[in-house]
Amino acid sequence: MFRRKAEERTGSPEALRLESVRRVYGAEGNQVNALDGVSLSLPKGSFTAVMGPSGSGKSTFLHCAAGLDQPTGGRVFVDGEELAGRNEAALTKFRRERIGFVFQQFNLLPALTVMQNVTLPLKLAGRKADPEQARAVLARVGLGERLHHRPSELSGGQQQRVAIARALVTRPSVLFGDEPTGALDTRSARDVLALLQEAVRMYGQTVVMVTHDPVAASYADSVLFLADGRIVGRMTAPTAEAVAERMTHLSDEIIPAVA
Amino acid sequence: MFGLALRTLRFRAGGFAAAFLSMFLGASILMTFGSMYDTAVLGGASGTGQETMVTMASVVGGWGLLLVVFAVASTLTLSVRQRAEEIALLKSVGATPRQLRRMIVGEAAVLAMAAVACAVMPAALAGRGLLELLISTGQVNADVSYVFGPLAVPMGLVITFVAATGAALLAVRRTARMRVTESIADAATDQGRMSKKRIAGAVLFLLLGLDLAIVTATAMRNEGSDAMSTAGQASIYAAIGMALLGPIMIRRVVAVLAGTVERLGGVTGYLAVCNLRRRTGQLAGALTPIVLFTAIATGTLYMQSTENAALEAAGLAKSVEQKNIETLNLVVIGMIVVFAAIMLVNTLLAATTYRGREFGQQRLAGSTRRQVLGMVALEGAVLTVTGVLLGTVAALFTILPYASVRLGSALPEGSPVVYAGVTALAVVLTLGTALGAARRAVRSPAVAAVTV
Repeated sequence: MFRRKAEERTGSPEALRLESVRRVYGAEGNQVNALDGVSLSLPKGSFTAVMGPSGSGKSTFLHCAAGLDQPTGGRVFVDGEELAGRNEAALTKFRRERIGFVFQQFNLLPALTVMQNVTLPLKLAGRKADPEQARAVLARVGLGERLHHRPSELSGGQQQRVAIARALVTRPSVLFGDEPTGALDTRSARDVLALLQEAVRMYGQTVVMVTHDPVAASYADSVLFLADGRIVGRMTAPTAEAVAERMTHLSDEIIPAVA
Repeated sequence: MFGLALRTLRFRAGGFAAAFLSMFLGASILMTFGSMYDTAVLGGASGTGQETMVTMASVVGGWGLLLVVFAVASTLTLSVRQRAEEIALLKSVGATPRQLRRMIVGEAAVLAMAAVACAVMPAALAGRGLLELLISTGQVNADVSYVFGPLAVPMGLVITFVAATGAALLAVRRTARMRVTESIADAATDQGRMSKKRIAGAVLFLLLGLDLAIVTATAMRNEGSDAMSTAGQASIYAAIGMALLGPIMIRRVVAVLAGTVERLGGVTGYLAVCNLRRRTGQLAGALTPIVLFTAIATGTLYMQSTENAALEAAGLAKSVEQKNIETLNLVVIGMIVVFAAIMLVNTLLAATTYRGREFGQQRLAGSTRRQVLGMVALEGAVLTVTGVLLGTVAALFTILPYASVRLGSALPEGSPVVYAGVTALAVVLTLGTALGAARRAVRSPAVAAVTV
């Protein structure tokens, strides 16, 4: 049910591509380079964690890559199609067709039931909201029995699993996670990460996850390290210890530079 | 804490705009009609002219007091609630409830003073205009000279001040009882259930309205235009009762309209219906001013036109007293309309702005801005339909008995244009405010909206 449709769309082997993306905040004279020329290419079916200390540009990276924010310079391609130069409405339509989100704060709509939350992106896109498909995705994340509960009646871990089901139901080209385990206890965090991993391994979903937690990052196939708006390192087949070790040194390198 | 109150006022002038506006308008009206007292006592008036002016000042003054307390309480409660975070912060750094109370009452007191000061000039001018109107319609002798001050200013000052500080105390009490997390959970689990107290209140007010309607139709049958005194109040009590039943009524109307709204609005209609079902409690707050406005405006205007038709049919010219009553009716309606409009706009603005995060979440789930605005418009439309419907039913408590007494018919006299105008105003105010606030709320990027 997480069957990928990207191949049918463009045939591009890349799910996400950034070419020297820059994002500058602030007024003239008081500018901050949140992203300073980031280039990368992520293949389909990859699970990538993006790590970095606070202020490294992780969130900006995610927002620019996912079409939530316009880069100051550079180009972003999702599934072979460029994101730039669109107005807000066109970007929204692009996002709801090709991008799924999972946020730290879940961002489920409080007035809708679990089932209604999951089918919402399909309805908004004017697609047929197949209840069987939504039910199957919810069963997959272990919430097949909770279809008619409201988000406020669920635990944090359950809400995040609803959010994952909602992100997967449109079969996006890329699923972006913004600290998806940041508000969860250890056990729920593990469930959520396992679900993301399963979506990648079994169904070829592409996942990009921003996190500051080395354990969360260790679930990914590879880790990108971000510092001061630049990619400063990459690690494949990460373990929590190796990631933590690397992060410690990243801070070592940065602190003297700032001071 | 008083120093903090002053700094807060200066820093957050915008947040107090609605409270200030209702105090300013209240003080203006109170002083305008207060000057009729001044003129009646010191301006050389006598006989019926004097009586007219005193009646006018007391009736409108009484209404004004009620409206000022009501409007100031509702606007201040909202502005205090919106600052829940700031108040929690003050608590966490050691402000006692007593100090917070002093701060908020202090803010209200300063606002009241400023409002009265600003209102003196407009009130003096409006009072002069009112006297000229009374003279030109022959209700007051032409040799009466205009006096403004000795009674009008203290009356405006004291009433506005007492109303404002009283309303502030009420607002603090209500906010203290409600914690921030509670109010959020409230929004999520709101089922539209009503407390027994509220239902009892609604039944009581509806019975009062019904009682006055029956009294009008029976005991007042031979009293001519004096029947206005009971008929006029019937719709006010009925409207309060209807407004208290708001949550139930919204659910009923939504149940009836859901299919149509969803068919017409597609996914935006679907979202509007979901929200209407889940947020009946909050929507009821915005419903109240719509019901009051529709009921009192429709009821009083058609009562007056029925009266005019009855006099015409009898071949009678209006007496001075009857002209007085007509002027008073129109003035009171004008006041109620203005205050109801302020309350409606303020409540809707606050409620819609408060939903900024929800709108952001919806956009992250794939809504375009246009879809969010479409949903808000449909919700506003259903809200208006419910409010106008309930208000119209309440207005019948006045109109039907009065028409039966004065014309001996079940139907009132008057142009349908009046009703269309009242309805149109309700629609414009509701939709204009909700859409304006929503448009502002969706202007920021969706990600920024959900992190606030």
